[in-house]
Amino acid sequence: MSRKSFKKIVKEGVCDTFIVWKDEFRKVIRDAGVVIFFIVAPLGYPLLYCFIYDNEVAKEAPMVVVDNSGTVRSREFIRLCDATRDIRIVGRTANMEEAKRMLHEKKAFGVMMIPSDFSKKIVRDEKSYVILYSDMSSLLYYKAFLTTLTDVSLEMGEDIQVKRMVGSTEREQKVASTPIEYKNVTYFNPQNGFASFLIPAVLILIIQQTMLMGIALLNGSARDNNTFRDLLPMQRHYRGTFRIVFGKSLCYLMVYSVVSVYLLWCVPMIFSLPQMGDGYSILAFILPFLLSCVFFSLTIVGFVRDRESSFVLFIFMSLILLFASGVSWPAAAVPWYWKSFSYLFPSTFGIQGFIKMNTMGATLNEVRLEYVALWIQTFLYFVGACLVCRWQIIRSDRKYREMNR
Amino acid sequence: MICTREARSMASRPLYLFGMILAPLFTTLFFLTLMGEGLPKDLPIAVVDNDNSQVSRRVVRQLDAFKQTEVLMHSANFSEARRAMQEGKVYAIFYIPENLEKDVLASRQPKISFYLNNSYLIAGSLLYRDLRTISVLGSAAVAKEFRTARGQTEEQAMIELQPVAVDTHLLGNPLSNYAVYLCNLIIPGVYNILIMLLTIYALGMELKQNTAHVLLRLSKNNMFVGLFAKMLPHTLVYFAVITLIDVILYEYMQFPCNSGLVPMLADSYMLVLASQAMSIFLFGLLPIMRLSLSAASLISVVSLSISGFSFPVSEMHYVLQCWSNVFPLRHFFLLYVDQALNGLGFAYTWHNYLALSLFLFLPFFVIRRLKDVYLNFKYVP
Repeated sequence: MSRKSFKKIVKEGVCDTFIVWKDEFRKVIRDAGVVIFFIVAPLGYPLLYCFIYDNEVAKEAPMVVVDNSGTVRSREFIRLCDATRDIRIVGRTANMEEAKRMLHEKKAFGVMMIPSDFSKKIVRDEKSYVILYSDMSSLLYYKAFLTTLTDVSLEMGEDIQVKRMVGSTEREQKVASTPIEYKNVTYFNPQNGFASFLIPAVLILIIQQTMLMGIALLNGSARDNNTFRDLLPMQRHYRGTFRIVFGKSLCYLMVYSVVSVYLLWCVPMIFSLPQMGDGYSILAFILPFLLSCVFFSLTIVGFVRDRESSFVLFIFMSLILLFASGVSWPAAAVPWYWKSFSYLFPSTFGIQGFIKMNTMGATLNEVRLEYVALWIQTFLYFVGACLVCRWQIIRSDRKYREMNR
Repeated sequence: MICTREARSMASRPLYLFGMILAPLFTTLFFLTLMGEGLPKDLPIAVVDNDNSQVSRRVVRQLDAFKQTEVLMHSANFSEARRAMQEGKVYAIFYIPENLEKDVLASRQPKISFYLNNSYLIAGSLLYRDLRTISVLGSAAVAKEFRTARGQTEEQAMIELQPVAVDTHLLGNPLSNYAVYLCNLIIPGVYNILIMLLTIYALGMELKQNTAHVLLRLSKNNMFVGLFAKMLPHTLVYFAVITLIDVILYEYMQFPCNSGLVPMLADSYMLVLASQAMSIFLFGLLPIMRLSLSAASLISVVSLSISGFSFPVSEMHYVLQCWSNVFPLRHFFLLYVDQALNGLGFAYTWHNYLALSLFLFLPFFVIRRLKDVYLNFKYVP
């Protein structure tokens, strides 16, 4: 074999890269399973999730009242609660037993019990209680009940205090009841919406998981179709580690750059989720994320024997990754060992960075930690992908030689 | 015969060991250790104390003493704190204006503010509670001094400050513990994903390895017997593992279980059977393994959201409310709430059991087609 000139090697390498790219793309569109994961799932899933969480908050949580007091004050309290956005009084019952029955029949999710001495205690200058029983089947309902009742009781309390103070000016009364005022500002997700909080994380996770599944399927098919049950076809063009890794990655990157624009830009816009970030910065951030996902997937699938096992191996991890990423469960409360575990996956940094940029309007400067981490992952998994690929070439070479012996 | 054949094939493939036993136990371990004591502790916040007086320092100290709040940084100005929030270092900012103490003494009603980052919903709402309490209490502490100065006793002052209070009773989950709330549904939910995928995998491998005719021969051409015997070893393993999970959750972790363990085991077993039946049905409809596996993974992942434990089903669109009923996990969740949390008897829960048992009839719709497929279908990779 004559030594090729360096120029020729580069030229051939680039050509082969493009051939691998083209081949891979053809495989992607021909395999129904891959199309499902690369195209259909990323298109459909976010729509479904947005539809599920469309209402954002639990409005008008149904509540039943047991008014044992039956006075003007207690009726006022009930009226004030009913008037809020969060609570709807669906019924009044004479006693606790009937109210509980309504809970069990799922007609209401909470009971407000006003004791018979409610007004009496207020008049006597004693502390008066409203008793809340909440069904714990939905935390959102519980939160609605608790905050509303607390708000109404504070409001009423202030009113009572002011009326009690005889002989002072209105201003004096107000100052005496609340010497320090407070103001609450909610940043980034002002309506406490569920979709605004969860969907951005889910979008990033969808990118990683569908890409992983799609690449796993592609590799599985390649192995199934191959005479030697190997990952690589026996062809002239598949004779170089970098050519294969670059060619394949280009194909996946091409598909996912389109998918990402849809997922990360169109979906938040269609469903009017928070979208504060600068588009170009997000683009700059997503590039290392996509790259690390591609190489991560190429590395992992080297260890998967057949196409079907990848479903069992990867799908169930989605939930674990979502929780480990520190969105639903605050990152500050994730134990260190799970935190280090989560650093293995691109989704962890992708989710954190994307939420900070998209929802909280951070720039690349504020997410530099995640940004650098993603580039490090890209590098490490690139080495991993090359090693896996190299190993495959050596193995198929050996088998080929054994065949021809 | 078929049972031993299936058991042998299960033992020979590490994937079954992984999916049936290791993965669910790993999931259990993950979620139980992740949530640890049930509520996140020491969530970091930033304090901007522009007053730096005795009153303001006392408020900050009290705030730091709350279990869920940790004052991570005292920043000199607001923009620094805000950047820390954008970097995700703190979840909230507590802002004390200049001249707080002076204004209080001069009855000028100064205003303290707190800023919450609600893109992390759980952290945001937990901190809201603490920050609001401290704001009201801080105010109350000052007001108390006012009143005692006027000659009221401390007790009188406290009552006057909060004449109406809310006394909360949480039915079933008295600690409002997130671990109780999430683990009991997520862990079976993840197992549900694995069961559906493994069932289809087992059915599909018969085609892929061209052994379907052996199965039919062994069952004397009776598809029902063949299917039943093939699934039985799987079911037994699932039962064993989910029993272990339930024992860990309700006995070892002592999560509330007002109905006792037995009804929860019944609920779990029904979930296993319903998922298996649903997977057989899916495979019968789509006998190409990779397509039915894709369908099963999409369905089983969605079922976690649509079962309504994170966002109540009654707040979803009407169409979704109806659709939620075709997911076994939804009925599992309702049964869990009624049994473990509310401790209700069979009189209230029978309709969910009925729904779960209806899933068991699904395979009968596809059994003829499945036989046809097993006899004539050629596996195309």
